[in-house]
Amino acid sequence: MIVYTVDPIRKDDVAEHQPLLNDDQNDTLLFEKLEEYILAHYPNPERVGCPSLEVLKRFSDAPREVNLSDLKNLHIFKCAECTRALIELRRQWEQPKLL
Amino acid sequence: MPLPSPSDLCWNVQFPPGQEWIERTVREALEANWQRAQSTARAYFGDEFLALEIMQLALQKTIDRLNKGAPVESNEVILLLSRFYAQEARRRRDANRELALLGPNAEVPSNPAQSQSSSVDSTIDLEVILHDIPPEVRLALLMRYSRTRWTEVAAILGTTESSIRVRSQQALKRIRQRLGDNEHGK
Repeated sequence: MIVYTVDPIRKDDVAEHQPLLNDDQNDTLLFEKLEEYILAHYPNPERVGCPSLEVLKRFSDAPREVNLSDLKNLHIFKCAECTRALIELRRQWEQPKLL
Repeated sequence: MPLPSPSDLCWNVQFPPGQEWIERTVREALEANWQRAQSTARAYFGDEFLALEIMQLALQKTIDRLNKGAPVESNEVILLLSRFYAQEARRRRDANRELALLGPNAEVPSNPAQSQSSSVDSTIDLEVILHDIPPEVRLALLMRYSRTRWTEVAAILGTTESSIRVRSQQALKRIRQRLGDNEHGK
């Protein structure tokens, strides 16, 4: 008789990463999780080293017009304040469509 | 997602005008080196997708070098590309070793001092995992972060969606891994 066993560690590993494996074509879930992570781990209330709000607005409205140095390289990935600003700009941008 | 073919890889390469021999020999050299480049990336880094980034740098260096001298035979170009690729792969492998001394959170046993400085650790982590990604990929990730779709990101960067997605794959994989570790308190 053949006995099949399931390795509990491997099963857990699969379960842990399952949500991100179910992501869509645009990796939306991954970027949502990254956003949550940055909001939780990178507080910057003094807005130290942030690009201006005008740059963030331009980046949100017309990303083609903004380059890496305008954005201070990867600063946004370590700044909860810039992330909040982008969320708010996105909300404002999406609002008219809902009306 | 499959790795692109050598001809796909040349999509973003800028060949000097009026030097057709460079384009021809570099394409041949890429064909000759591509399989081995993937094996090297898999052996050094456990990830063949890194071959893409490393090869693009090696291609650019090869073209710059050829552009400065007289025409050479295909065999010499194959060797030159292979050397530049190996050089860049070794540089990255050594850089990774240095970063391993710093160590990501996942490898450090948890203790009270670590939890007090969790935000500093997080900064180090994201900087470590994104330290070597090329500028174009950085911009692509930032655009996706602000919810620009991959198709639009590709159009803005003047490339194809599959090309920019493949080139972002390594960084996305690292972020995914980091977020997974964080979510489960590793």
